Amino acid sequence: MTKPDDPTPDFSDVEGGSSSSAPPPATRTYTVKAGDSLSKIAKQIYGDANKWRTIYQANTDKIKNPDLIHPGQVLTIPPA
Amino acid sequence: MIAHARHWSVMVATLAGAAVACKKAPPPPPAAPPAVTFSVTGVTLGKAVAADRSVAQPLTTFGPKDTIYASVATVGSSTSATMAALWTFQTGQTVFADTQAIAPQGPAHTEFHISKPSGWPVGKYKVTISLDGAPAGAQDFEVHR
Repeated sequence: MTKPDDPTPDFSDVEGGSSSSAPPPATRTYTVKAGDSLSKIAKQIYGDANKWRTIYQANTDKIKNPDLIHPGQVLTIPPA
Repeated sequence: MIAHARHWSVMVATLAGAAVACKKAPPPPPAAPPAVTFSVTGVTLGKAVAADRSVAQPLTTFGPKDTIYASVATVGSSTSATMAALWTFQTGQTVFADTQAIAPQGPAHTEFHISKPSGWPVGKYKVTISLDGAPAGAQDFEVHR
């Protein structure tokens, strides 16, 4: 529902993404967004949600609990 | 006497030559500016991107149900660069933020896109692009009914 008169509209349902004609670096990074989980990120990046542990193991210095990641965290994404 | 005069003339000529040599000494060359190896050349908005991630039909006005693409053109090469897009509403409210890590080896396009299934609020928006944390470009756009 569009609310033209709402001074502070709700953007929580905004979906987005990105891609490039340039190749990715050997190791890339990912900034956690609201609603993300490691399995969701793994699905998006590797196409396989079960590869969440690959991301977790590359970021044990930043992630203490794999079920708890925070928006704004920059995670190292190793090559698949 | 003649030898003495010659001695003085040789000394004067030597000193004069040294003075000339000092005057002609070239100034040190200015320090060369650092080479720019990778930079953003433009940000273009549209409703779709081609296979090379460029926008074929640039737009700055969109409808509430449109998916909005920002295509960022770059030149140069980098072994690792992080491009970020920050989408904001006219109030300064953050609409969406995203990053893309790239290692371009020549001209390239990187696209960021956003959609809102419930429809975009009418108003003015902006997408701001940064490269490795430094501002690299921005583009304003509007959503109309």
